Parts: sequence; structure tokens; C-alpha cells
Amino acid sequence: MLTVSVKWQKKVFEGIEIDPTLPAYVFKAQLYDLTGVPPERQKIMVKGGLLKDDADWSAIGVKDGQKLMMMGTADEIVKAPEKAIVFAEDLPEEEQATHLGYSAGLVNLGNTCYMNSTVQCLKSVPELKSALSNYALTGRSNDVDQTSHMLTVATRELFGDLDRSVNAVSPTQFWMTLRKKFPQFSQLQNGMHMQQDAEECWTQLLYTLSQSLKAPTSSEDSDAVKALFGVNLRSRVHCQESGEESSETESVYSLKCHISHEVNHLHEGLKHGLKGELEKTSPALGRTALYLKESLIDSLPRYLTVQFVRFFWKRETNQKAKILRKVDYPLELDIFDLCSEDLRKKLEAPRQKLRDEEGKKLGLQPKSSLKDSDVKMTDAEASSNESGESSTVTQQEGGSSEKGTLHMTGIYDLVSVLTHKGRSADSGHYVAWVKQESGKWIQYDDSHPSLQREEDITKLSGGGDWHMAYIIMYKARFVSM
Amino acid sequence: MAPVPDPNNVGGGAKRDEATTKVPSKDPKKKDDKKEEDLSEEDLELKQNLELYVERVQDPNPELQKAALESMRQEIRASTSSMTSVPKPLKFLRPHYGTLKEFHKNMVESDLKKLLADILSVLALTMSAEGERESLGYRLTGSGGDIGSWGHEYVRNLAGEIAEEYTMRQSEEASVDDLMDLVKQIVAFHMKHNAETEAVDLLMDVEDLDLLLQHVDRANFRRTCNYLTSSAKYLPGPDDMLVLDIAYMIYMKFEEHPNALQVALFLDNMQYVKQVFTSCTDLLKKKQFCYMISRHGITFELDPEMVADKDDRDILQDIVNNTKLSEGYLTLARDIEVMEAKTPEDIYKAHLLDGRASSGPSVDSARQNLAATFVNAFVNAGFGQDKLMTVPSDAASGSAGNWLFKNKEHGKTSAAASLGMILLWDVDAGLTQLDKYFHSTDNPVLAGALLGVGINNCGIKSDCDPALALLGEYIDNEDSSVRIGAIMGLGIAYAGSQNDQIRSSLSPILNDATAPLDVIAFAALSLGMIYVGSCNEEVAQSIIFALMDRSEAQLGDALTRFLPLGLGLLYLGKQESVEATAEVSKTFNEKIRKYCDMTLLSCAYAGTGNVLKVQDLLAQCGEHLEKGDIHQGPAVLGLAMVAMSEELGLDMAIRSLERVLQYGEQNIRRAVPLALGLLCISNPKVNVMDTLSRLSHDTDSEVAMAAIISLGLIGAGTNNARIAGMLRNLSSYYYKDASLLFCVRIAQGFVHMGKGLLTLSPFHSERLLLSPTALAGIVTLLHACLDMKSIILGKYHYVLYFLVLAMQPRMMLTVDENLKPISVPVRVGQAVDVVGQAGRPKTITGFQTHSTPVLLAAGERAELATDKYIPLSPILEGFIILKENPDYREE
Repeated sequence: MLTVSVKWQKKVFEGIEIDPTLPAYVFKAQLYDLTGVPPERQKIMVKGGLLKDDADWSAIGVKDGQKLMMMGTADEIVKAPEKAIVFAEDLPEEEQATHLGYSAGLVNLGNTCYMNSTVQCLKSVPELKSALSNYALTGRSNDVDQTSHMLTVATRELFGDLDRSVNAVSPTQFWMTLRKKFPQFSQLQNGMHMQQDAEECWTQLLYTLSQSLKAPTSSEDSDAVKALFGVNLRSRVHCQESGEESSETESVYSLKCHISHEVNHLHEGLKHGLKGELEKTSPALGRTALYLKESLIDSLPRYLTVQFVRFFWKRETNQKAKILRKVDYPLELDIFDLCSEDLRKKLEAPRQKLRDEEGKKLGLQPKSSLKDSDVKMTDAEASSNESGESSTVTQQEGGSSEKGTLHMTGIYDLVSVLTHKGRSADSGHYVAWVKQESGKWIQYDDSHPSLQREEDITKLSGGGDWHMAYIIMYKARFVSM
Repeated sequence: MAPVPDPNNVGGGAKRDEATTKVPSKDPKKKDDKKEEDLSEEDLELKQNLELYVERVQDPNPELQKAALESMRQEIRASTSSMTSVPKPLKFLRPHYGTLKEFHKNMVESDLKKLLADILSVLALTMSAEGERESLGYRLTGSGGDIGSWGHEYVRNLAGEIAEEYTMRQSEEASVDDLMDLVKQIVAFHMKHNAETEAVDLLMDVEDLDLLLQHVDRANFRRTCNYLTSSAKYLPGPDDMLVLDIAYMIYMKFEEHPNALQVALFLDNMQYVKQVFTSCTDLLKKKQFCYMISRHGITFELDPEMVADKDDRDILQDIVNNTKLSEGYLTLARDIEVMEAKTPEDIYKAHLLDGRASSGPSVDSARQNLAATFVNAFVNAGFGQDKLMTVPSDAASGSAGNWLFKNKEHGKTSAAASLGMILLWDVDAGLTQLDKYFHSTDNPVLAGALLGVGINNCGIKSDCDPALALLGEYIDNEDSSVRIGAIMGLGIAYAGSQNDQIRSSLSPILNDATAPLDVIAFAALSLGMIYVGSCNEEVAQSIIFALMDRSEAQLGDALTRFLPLGLGLLYLGKQESVEATAEVSKTFNEKIRKYCDMTLLSCAYAGTGNVLKVQDLLAQCGEHLEKGDIHQGPAVLGLAMVAMSEELGLDMAIRSLERVLQYGEQNIRRAVPLALGLLCISNPKVNVMDTLSRLSHDTDSEVAMAAIISLGLIGAGTNNARIAGMLRNLSSYYYKDASLLFCVRIAQGFVHMGKGLLTLSPFHSERLLLSPTALAGIVTLLHACLDMKSIILGKYHYVLYFLVLAMQPRMMLTVDENLKPISVPVRVGQAVDVVGQAGRPKTITGFQTHSTPVLLAAGERAELATDKYIPLSPILEGFIILKENPDYREE
């Protein structure tokens, strides 16, 4: 009879007797009683080896009083999950792209950064994307010319490619159709295509899309682009000399931010831009007279585009010069005081609601406020996407029929910035900075998208040789009532 | 010759005022002319007296001669106190040196002649031309009286001349007996007068250090040994070994056993280690020795001769076997309050990178999860708990919630093995936790469990040999990933043990023609680890044959580099012993020949600081090669390995590497960051940090990856905020590049290794001792990093776990006589180099007082701030046993 001690986990079982004549299995059964570990899962270590069930004690040479060590648990054995876990690396390339959180960049085809940045900025408007996807390939309506149709299709394809690809997309097709439609973009200099003004590209492209995306029924309201970007201005034209007064309305796709010496902030620039002087023949005076034109916003778009008027034609040097002046713009823009009286009245109730909600969040659940508003935003998008154009129209009119519809508040959030770097419009470099649905900012420098910090976005306000904002786009904040 | 000093300085003492009032405005030329008049009355008298003596010496009357010589000696002796200026008598006798010399030559042999020789010997101190060694010559013909009576400077000068004379006579093979007599006198004099360094220098010059033993005493042996051990680093072999031998003997003579043990370990002389044990009778001290041996990481078996009593021996063996390491480490962790497990997110601190932190991708990335596995393992190493692997999987989430399965294929190996790392050193708990994976049918999981057992047992030995028992049967498993897991686990668990049983089971794999290359590579590596620094012939033979058997294609494989590395590890730090094997390696296929050559050279001279080898390696780096040659990588690493041992060489190596970086080829540039990482491992020097930070943005992604990993290495276990910040920024800079991001994550894991309680530095005991297993672990990782893409970024990422060999708590834990932790106040500060300083200089500066256990950063030293206890080892690192001071009185 041998006596050994067995160490198991942190415990030591002293004085266990071994009958050398019996197989080791018996010993294991003894241990089973002590530890509850079934014999088949016991691993007993004896001098650098494991004790086999049928081992012969005399061959192993266990001495009296020796310490043995046992390993083993009665725990459940780990099983692989039934449903295999899918890893990002396993996914096909397209799906990997969606997990990156942003889409691919665009290859520069030779001074095409103006076009790339414009496309990236416009692509960030999901409503435009859905409108494009509804655009029938076949159904070219008669009032849309062939080139416009082609450009619209090319835009649609390009947006699709960007969403699917991980690597940079080459916008060759789009570029060709763009040049076909607008030959001015084909200008050559030293055998190279010239750098162009991104604003021109932006305006022309939007105009084309607005033409082609008009519903065949051709009613005013069904113009998707206009519904998204159009700003109705009501202007009062006033002649001081004669005291004549008239009012007119117009619809524009973007507000201009004029930059003069007094302008330090976007808001001032916008105000400045909405006031103007013009000379026209006064019927009362019978000659040309100076008229003052003051415009106010009559209806708000879902996406408010602001163009910084940084370039002007310098007569002395015969070239487009750039104003480098720093003009700050906020991440959150309130244009309430640029609105007309009627519109203000309509906005008041939703604004109050918004304030209440924010106050509540700050007061009661300060933590979840961000999350909540995010959810609301996505809800808003979802609902608008589903209901399509008609719902956007109702919202635009500030319709108050149903409960739970979304209302404009006059408050806008910055979603994309198109910047220019360089001294002249026809040179330098254009870059797009776009806010993703995840809230991240991405800089699209042609084929290189890169993450940016939000605070760096507001630093693009000019005043140096760094990228400076040229066209910025705000997205309306809605409140449901 | 000594310059003629300004008379102003000479005219010291009481007459100084007089002299200065006359002299100051005069220009030097006039001074010379009017020297006579400038002298004070006293000086003038002295001068005249001396002139008189000189005349009288030449007098035929021996009585007069004798009187004159005696007086002259009196004068000289009376004024040899200071040597900032030439003593006056010597100065006044200068013009007569020639006369006296001439006269001495013609004198008949007599006592008087000897007396004159004595005086001439002193005069020669300022007069004799360089290289003439006249002082020595006259001394030898002189009366040979008390050497110290002529003052320190005379002795010092004489010592210098003896050294010159000795080398000359050695080359002429002439007798040196007369010199040795003089040496004995001088050494005795120096040792008595706090000039141990000079005594040692002289004895080194005349190659007779044994003399030192007779002259050291209680008062000066510490300074002597201190000088001996630190000068050993700068001596060429085999002198360094001789010097340390003497240091060992001196320590033994004065029963300073801990120091003697330290030297014995440095010499890697087990006979000496044994001697320390046998000559010491205090059991408590022996326990302290065991702690020192366990920190060094060698396998050591106590025998009855060392410790007679069996129970005592068991206790001591337990200490050597490191069984209490986990306990001590956890004591430290609890004291510093870092027990709370950390998640990888706590380390990444992504919230500090505003704007980019927001919700990550919704789908798990296998690469990122793998990185998180490693970060989790390194950060929670040894704590026994974490938030990924050890959490009980609750019923709701089931096994899908199990982190293990968030890793893909071979990633599961690393994940399962990480459990071994989390439970590092705690064998009982580790085996219990790993048990469940042993029953897995998934081969990568099983492989990870095997590897985990190895990691878990790293540095811990046990009679039952659980690692061998568990892993042994999987060595020949049909699945090669399982085989690798078992082989690597054995390599880690038994590093340095020279276990024959493992050798006999691993060696056959090397020469098995059917075994896959990766299995062979890991087998070679594991054998190298197990037999590290042993120069074992048989293992070397097996690896050499394995290398010869490789086909051309296999030699090009990234993993093949582990074969020469395994071979090199056998000779780690063993210098010349490598030569035979190096010769054999010249017959290898040219694809691997140079690589093997460099690896062998760098391993053999690792930690020696051998300047010649550094030059050899630098020369290799200077060549511009055809593409495809990869041996410059190990050459650059070798540079760091050889030079890392002492500060001066280290700084020089850092500078050389900067040059190499500028002019070297791409494969050199890739290795430079790794070499820098090795040089400053766990020691974040700011200049190296800056260099690496710059390289981490290099256009060559491999350079950047190496730099990032090295940033992790230099900050390993320090929680260094600056490196952490750099890595955080790199993580956002490289957020798109999965490979680079993986490296950044790993580096972040390194920096926060053990939540800042661990170090990777293979040096310990005040940077004197180099743990061979620790160095082996680091070097293996670095060699793997030379081809990052195929190894660490491929499916062999688990080589990162080789670092476990170098992981040690950077603590000072005091225990009482029953080995229970006690808290005492200690001062911790920057270590000061006190070598060669007289008296009892302060050993630390800028200290703060803490109570133990404390953390020690690189270059820091601790000292007890209380007299209540006496530490049993003068080197306050790791476990320190405190004995109550019997003389202590409470104030």
C-alpha cells in the first residue's frame, strides 16, 4: 500500500492510498469521489507523464509520500457556436465597404477635382440618391434632351458605383457626359483639361438634374431637385426717389454669401447677399433709377446651399481673383431672421417644440440627448424616403394637416463643405468634406477619403492658404408635431 | 614633463603676500629674469640650503655626504603633501638633477649610493623624460624603504612606470620579480589609502590580481569589488572573467554571499553558485539566494550538500522554482490597486480621439479581435482575471458570447493561449481554466490550450512537470497546428532547463523528412530555448542537419529563419564556444549561410559589449547588396544584442544605428527600429522615442510597423503616457490599414503590459545580470518581426507570446523571515554610478519615499528608509527578505 498526496486546483488531498496491485483506474475512481471530476477527464501528472488508465503502478515507480498533480474539471466543454460568426474579412468587397462607414473616393482624371468634390457633396444627399434611383432608364420624357438624360443616368451610375466600391472609383463615364452636355468643361490648356469652377459645375449639374428629374406630369411641385434645394425668395423692390414699391418672387438653388469688409460671419454675409441695389427704368420717373431690393426667404428647402462669393472678376488684371477673407460659419445655422413674416409665423410653433424638447433632454436625460436626436433624424429620413416626393412637398409648405408630420424649424445642420485651396478659381485644388450618417466627417480628397474631426471642419473658414469653404450645404432639422 | 609653474603659485604659505605684492604686474619674461630677486627670504634660504646639500653630496667625505643626503630627504619629504604645484625642493633641485645623476653613476656601491638613488627617483618624478622610466630605475637601485613616505604622487607615477616596464619586459621575456616586489608595496599602500581603483589598475596591468586578496579588508572590499565588476564590462576576454573571479573570491572572503552569488551567476559558473550555498550557514540567507536565482530564470537543483535538511530544501527549491511568484505579484497588484481587469477598449482610449471614436463597424473584424485578444492577454497578464477570456459565459449568450469564437481559425489558438498568459505563473488555476479547451474538437483551440499551458508554466518548475506531462503526447499529433502548439509550449515552459527528455522527443522532428517546415522551425526554436546558452553539441548537430536537409525553396521561407536562430540561442552569450559551429555553418547553402553566420555571431556575443564584434556587424551593414539578401537584418539586431549590456556602448550603438538608418538599404532600415527597441527595452529614452515616432510614419510600411512594435517594446510595462499618446494618434492615422493598425494595437498592449507592473528588460540586479531565457524570448520575437508580413501578420502571430519569457514584475517586495510580505518605508530614486568614488557616496538621487511593495522603473534603485530591518541582499530588487535589526532602538 502506497500513500500519496494529490494536488488538485488549489487543494491538496493528503494521504490517499494506492493499492499497487490494482490498475490506475481504481485510483482515478477514488479521486472522482474526492473531486467530482469524472475519471475520463482526469489528467494525473506523474513525473513528466500522464497516468494511463491501465498503467501498472510498479512500472511508474511512484514512491510513498509522493505528490501527484491532477488536472481536470467537471465543467462543461466549450462548444463552438452553432452559427458561425461572420468576420468583416470574410465579407465580399462591397459589403466590407458598408462597414467602413463611408464610401469610396473618386479618381482624379486630370484637373477634375472640382467635379469630384461636387459629386461627393451632392452624393451626401440621400433624397437625391433616391430620386435618381427612381429615374427610369428608359423613360426619357420628351422635354429632356438626350445629353441631359445621359448625364442623369451617368450620375445615377456613379452614385451607385461609389456605394458599392471599397477602392476609388474612376468617374470616366460621368466626366464624358458632363463635357458633352457642357462643352465649357472641355477647355484645354497646354494639352490638359483646365481646372474649372466647382460652383459652375455644381449649378449646372443641379440644373440638369432638376430638368430631368421633373416628373413627366410636369407640374411645378414635382420637381424633386427644386423640392430639395430650392429657396423661394420674396423680394421687395423699392425706389427711394419715386417711392415706388413692387414685390417679386424668385426661386434660387443657393443663397449667396457676399463677402465685404464688414462680413465676418456667414450670417452677415447672407444678410448682405439678400440686399441689393439695381438700376432699372422707373415707370414713374421715366428714366433709370436706383432701386433697393430686399429679399426674404419665403420657403425653406430641405438642403440649404450657401455659396461664398469668393471669386470676382478683377478688371485690372483680367482674371478671377479670390477673396481670402475669413468668414466663419456655424455647424448649426438658424436662418429665422432671414425669413419672411409669413414663414416666421409658421416656424414659431415647431421652434417652440424643438426648444422644449431640447430643454427636456438637457434637463432630464442629458446623456441620451444626442442619441435621441440621431434616431429622430434617421426616422425623418426613413419616412421621407418612403413617402417619396409628395411628403416632402407637404413639409415644405409647412403643412399642418396630420399629427406627427415633420415640420421645418429654420434650424440647419452642416452636412457638407466644398473647399477650395489656391489663389484663383481656375487653379488650386477642390476638396469635399462630408458628414456621414454615423456623424463622422470624411474628407474626400479625390481618391483619398480620410477621417476628420468635427472641430477641424469649422476651421475651413478661410483667412489663409488652407482649404477654405466655397460651397457649404446645410440640412434642415425637423421636429415632429 | 611637468610644466614650470608660475612662481606665484609656488610662493604659497606665509610668504605669499610678499611675493604677490611684488610680482603681479610683471609679464612672464621679466619674471624669469628676475626669478632670483622674486623669491621670498624663506625660499631663498631653502634654495641656498639645497644648493649647499648638492655640493656636499659630491664631497668625498662620506659623513658629510650622508648628512647632506639625509637633510635633502628631509626637505623633500616635508613638502610632498600637495601636487597641485611642483614642491619647492624639487623645483630648486631641478637644475642639479643632471649633476646628481652624473655623480650617482660614478659612486661606488654603498648605502649612500642607494640613498642618493632614492632621492633621484623622486626627482625623476618631474625631471625624467617620457618613457625613460628613470624614477622606477632609481627606485629599484635604491634602498627600497617605505614607498608611501614620498607621497601619493610619487607612488602613482611609479605605478604608471611599472606598468610600462612590465609590458616591455613581458615582450622581452625578462624577469619581473623585482617589479612584483614593488607592486606589492604599492598595492598595499594604495589599498590603505582609499585608492583601490589605482591598486586594481596596477594589478590588472601586471596581470596579478590575486595579490588583491591579501590586501582587501572590510573597509575597502566593497569599493574594490564594485570597481572590479564594473570594469569587467570594458575588458576584453578572458580578462573580464579573471577580474570577476577575483571579485567573487573577495566577496566570498568577506562572506558577502549575495554579491558573490551575483558574480557567480554572471560567470554562469554553477560550481561557484554551489560554493555560495555550501559556505553559507544561514538558512534565511539561502532563501534570499534562491530568490535571486529564481529571478535570473535558470533551472537550478538544490542538493543535500547545499541544504542538508530535506524540508528546508523543499522550501528553498520552491523558491527557486518560482512557485510563489504569482502570489508576490498579486500582492503588489493589490497594494497598487490595479486588480480591476482592463478591457482592450480601456487601453485604446478611443474616446480621446474625438470625432473618430463613434461606433465601430457593426461586424467583428477577425484582425481587430485578434489584436484585442493579445492586448487583453498582455495587459491582464498574471492577474488571473480579465473581461474576455475568464468571464463565465452566461447561459443567455451561450457559447456565441464566448470571446474565443470571436477569433478566426488560427486566431483561436492565440485566444485560447491567452488564458495561459492571464493566469501566468499560477499553475493550479491556469491548468484548471485551460482544461476545458483540452477537450475541444477544434484543432486550433486545442493547439492554443497546449501553448497556454506552456505560457502558464513559464519560469515555474514543478516536480510533477505538468507541462511536459500534458504536452508530451501532442508532439507527434497529426495536425501540425497542434504540434506547433505543443512544441512551442514546451519551449516556453522549459526554457533554459536543458531537459533531456524533451530533447529526445523533439530532436527526431528536426530530421524527419515528412514533417512540415513550420513544425521543424518551431522545434528548432524550442530546442534552442530549452538549451539556451548550453553549447549542447547534440542539439546543435540536429539543427545543423535540419538546415542542411532543407530544399532551396524551403530556405527562402520566412520561417526558416528560426532554424539558425535556434542554433544561435544554444550559444547565447558564450562567445568563442560558437566558433566550431560557425565554421560548419559556412558549408550551408548560400541562401542561409550569411543569415546563419550573423545570427550565430550576434547570439554568441550577446550582452558582452564586445567592441570588435560590434565593428564586424557594422561592417556588414555598410555593404550595399543585391536584392534578396536578408542577412543584414540579423546583423543590425546583433549590433543591439552585443551592445546592449552597458550604458556607454548602448549610447554609441544608438548613434551608429542613426547613421545606418540614413545610409542603409531597405532591409537594414526595417531592422533598425527593432534594434532600437531591443536597446531600450522597457526603458523609454526620449531620443529613441522620437526616432521611433518619426519612423512610425515612414513611407515604407514595414519600417513603420517595426517602429510601432518597437515603440511598444521600449515602453513595455511602463504605462508611459507619451508613448501611449503617440500610439493613440497612430491608431487614428492608420485606422484604415488593417496591418498597421494591428501593430499599433499590439504596441498599445505592450505599453500597458501587466497594467504597468511588468518589465521586459532581460537585465536585472542593477543591470549586472542578463537573464538568458529573457533575452532568448525577445530576440526570437525580433527575428520574427524581420518578416512581419509572413509571421506576425500571417498565421504565426502567437510568436508574440515568446515575450512571456522576458516578462518579470518590476517590483521590490519585502518579506519577513517567514516569507510573508511586510511593508517598510523605502526610498526610490535614480541610481547614481558610484564606481571609483571614495567614501560612502549616495547611491540614489531625487528619491521619493514609499512603502513596499514598490515599482522600480528602469535606472531606479531602492534603499531602505528605516534601520529597523536589515535586507539580506544589498541589491534591492524582486523579493527581499528582511531581518530585524538587533541594534535598532525605537526613538
